[in-house]
Amino acid sequence: MALNLSSIVRFLFRRKAVENEIDSELTFHMDRQTEENIRRGMSPAQARLAARRTVGGIDQIKEECRDARIGQMVETTLQDVRYGLRVLRKNPGFTFMAIVTLALGIGVNTAIFSVVYGVLLRPLPYQQGGQLVVLHQQAKRANLLNVPFSAKEVFDYRDHNHTLESVVEHHTMTFLLLGKDSAERVQTAVVSANFFDVLGVRPLLGRTFVASDEAHDANAVLVLSYKYWETRHGGDPNIVGHVFQMNNRPHTVIGVLPSIPQYPSESDVYMPTSQCPTRSSAGFIANRQARMMTVFGRLKPGVPLVQAQADLSAIGHQMSDAYPDAYPKAYGYGIAATPLQEDLTRRARTTFLILLGAAGLVLLIACANVANLFLARLLKLERELAVRTALGASKARLVRQLLTESVLLSAIGGALGLALAPATVSLLVKFAERFTTRSAEVRIDGPVLLFTLLISLGTGILFGLAPAFASRRQVTDALKQATGRTTASRGRQRLRAGLVLAQVAISFMLLIGAGLTIRSFLKLQEVNPGFNPDRVLTMRLTANFTRHSQLAQLLTLSKDILRGVRTTGGVESAALTSNVPLSRRAIASGPGSTGFQIEGKPVSKGELAPLVDTTAVSDGYFETLRQPLLSGRTFTSRDDEKALNVAVINQTLARHRWRSEDPVGRRISFDNGASWIKIVGVIGDAKEYGLDQPIGDEVYVPVAQFGFAGNLVLRTALEPAAVAPMVRAALHDVDPQLAVDQVDTVEQLKEESVASPRVTAILLGLFALLALVVSASGIAAVMALSVTQRTNELGIRMALGAPRQSILYMVIRQGLALAIGGTAVGVVGALVLTRLLSTLLYATSPEDPLTFIAVSALFLSVATIASFIPARQVTAIDPLVALRQE
Amino acid sequence: MAKPKSDLLQGTLDLLILKTLDLEPMHGWGISQRIQQVSDSVLQVNQGSLYPALHRLEEKQWISANWGASENNRQAKYYELTRLGRKQLTQETENWERLSGAVARVLGTA
Repeated sequence: MALNLSSIVRFLFRRKAVENEIDSELTFHMDRQTEENIRRGMSPAQARLAARRTVGGIDQIKEECRDARIGQMVETTLQDVRYGLRVLRKNPGFTFMAIVTLALGIGVNTAIFSVVYGVLLRPLPYQQGGQLVVLHQQAKRANLLNVPFSAKEVFDYRDHNHTLESVVEHHTMTFLLLGKDSAERVQTAVVSANFFDVLGVRPLLGRTFVASDEAHDANAVLVLSYKYWETRHGGDPNIVGHVFQMNNRPHTVIGVLPSIPQYPSESDVYMPTSQCPTRSSAGFIANRQARMMTVFGRLKPGVPLVQAQADLSAIGHQMSDAYPDAYPKAYGYGIAATPLQEDLTRRARTTFLILLGAAGLVLLIACANVANLFLARLLKLERELAVRTALGASKARLVRQLLTESVLLSAIGGALGLALAPATVSLLVKFAERFTTRSAEVRIDGPVLLFTLLISLGTGILFGLAPAFASRRQVTDALKQATGRTTASRGRQRLRAGLVLAQVAISFMLLIGAGLTIRSFLKLQEVNPGFNPDRVLTMRLTANFTRHSQLAQLLTLSKDILRGVRTTGGVESAALTSNVPLSRRAIASGPGSTGFQIEGKPVSKGELAPLVDTTAVSDGYFETLRQPLLSGRTFTSRDDEKALNVAVINQTLARHRWRSEDPVGRRISFDNGASWIKIVGVIGDAKEYGLDQPIGDEVYVPVAQFGFAGNLVLRTALEPAAVAPMVRAALHDVDPQLAVDQVDTVEQLKEESVASPRVTAILLGLFALLALVVSASGIAAVMALSVTQRTNELGIRMALGAPRQSILYMVIRQGLALAIGGTAVGVVGALVLTRLLSTLLYATSPEDPLTFIAVSALFLSVATIASFIPARQVTAIDPLVALRQE
Repeated sequence: MAKPKSDLLQGTLDLLILKTLDLEPMHGWGISQRIQQVSDSVLQVNQGSLYPALHRLEEKQWISANWGASENNRQAKYYELTRLGRKQLTQETENWERLSGAVARVLGTA
């Protein structure tokens, strides 16, 4: 029966109207019949009675009309569902296996999809987020893809472009906020006044900035982020109007933001550019090369990205021509505009798409398994189906019934999977936080539910349809099998073998993927960071810079801090540094690059100067981290502002620029030779910016000759957690206005730095394990069925003298043939697919032979076991019994 | 009502309805009257089977229904042959002719 959607809709929604129609139709008929009778000469009363008699039971007619109307559609579907449920109840083993497999498959997919949707696909929660673009200044030849903007550059791009409706800037600073119980360090975003208007963000409370807030002499104002307001001010509804001290000025809270992901980073408070002491200083604004800000804008309506890109590039060229000193030719300066959505999620894309792909493959395998179970069951049903066909059931009717059953199964599996999903999602969100601020938007909602519904129905139809179509059979053949035992048709056997082969191939690919990521992760764990992270405690310090504005004051503060901490119990050694190795900040920002010059090797104008990353460290730093000294000396407390400027370089820089010579005693300059710094030592390389990152050129300078470095590193004699409170107390004694946060051990930081490859490896490993178990059970099920079907044949073989052993081998060989075939296909597939993984792998080739060999060996041994278990039934066959079955 | 009535063979009613509607759109009462008239009152259409049949045919989309004004200006449900129904009519007519021919031959030779 054709699927008559309109009649079902009518049945469901217009029941009443249809009923009325039938009523008036019959009334009309009665009236006409009555008129006709009157015309023939009957009295009206007689006429009506006669009419009623010819019509017969009105309610009966209505009932029959209704039956014709509702159609068999709804009725038979209900029948099928009832029948399907009965069948599923009667085969609890089959039902349980199928539902568990499907629930896992669908649950995993729902969870991963909800993250992929929330992070990658959901439209930005900003007004017309598709028009928002991020600008990146780039110096491609110096390999710098994200150079910040200076104030002059912001003005140039803002004032001279023709394609952007508005251009806004953003940078972050950390300031001390006073006015609560203790000094609090707040992450502060410094933004243009129209920042929130461009994003289309309306405040939850109060207002956001207006142009007059950005004026030089305006009163200082603050907008709080939702999270900061919630967590640090208890969601105080009267916060607007509250005054805090910041940078030695009163700051008034004017508004609170709604709960939205913040771009480009999470901040506690927002202030206009005129309030940032650095950004508003005349010197900063005048200096074209003082680059600090992130810039983005909104495309004018209808302007395509390429046009904006061309427009901005033209401005970039004009700037390069006008100020050649600020844009050395050798650096290859340029500008790139990227959609905000892409920029926000770039780091998450590969990982999550790979996970979604892997989850999809797991579901496919689950599907193939259930299809196989279905086929096996169908085999037992063959006679029943044949009898029903003989009694007049159409093929379509039987297929529909099978489909109802499979969709029922997948719907139950889907519902269970959906129940499993939330627990998984919260784990995945934690994982996604490492990649993007959008992770906060992940939730199970309409689109995700729709996805789950679709994959549930899709899988049901997929695994229901395959066996249904393979059951094209000769009714007579099936009926002739008097014993009810039938041989599998060739097509069906091939389908089952094909399903197992596909399962094996897909599982193999997943195992390879998991194997590669696990191997890469193990390699990452073995990386020697170049220092000893055991019992090293680190904390971030923020001084009230308005009270320590002079260099001399900061130097005294540094000395006081070190003296105070070093005399604290449990502290073996302590030092200050501008960069904590493997910290979140270090990994997120990566090494900096400052141009320098080597004495005797002047850099000609326009040529690319050698670049290094610089870190300011105090005396005792290398000793605290146990970074080995290779030649010369490390810093001492005498390397201060009054002494000769000195530096320690890492081994990579020494080899890179001095090759076999000894750099100790050589001089370098960071200001084109105006002042010179003497290299006093060479230190071992340290993986400061991530275990998976290559080591770059590194120059360490003494804090005392540089200013202030806000991170304390301590090697403790005891458990670091026990020492931390004592250190905090010591710091409070040194300066009560010193804010202390981000207390971690370097060991923790190291663990955390490899958390995302670890989670990726674990997830892929779990998927692969699931796939392996499912496909092994698939092999076992197919072999078991094949043995049952061949009992008769095997009995004859035995009767003719075939040793049990050889029959056992024959069966196992059959199972192994499937596994080997699948593995062969899998190897080819894996070679193609694992290339997608290459960006996630550390020091591991996507074609890593060891992984391929190990996974093949694992797979074939599992397949052997899986075929051995059913094959053992063979030995239990009694030839006499087997033959008597005839 | 003097003439002997014939029971309609299963499926024959459908054919008669389709044939009647082939001439012009008609309401249920009209169809029953027409069949009765044309068959010279041999074929009496039982209302108890006429309406379910009409609804069944509509469901199969062989006929379609519209509400319109009747001869005496009352609202009546008019049925009309669809393209599908016209095709079906040709097919059913052929079937019927083959069947009745065969029956006639059997009766003729017996």
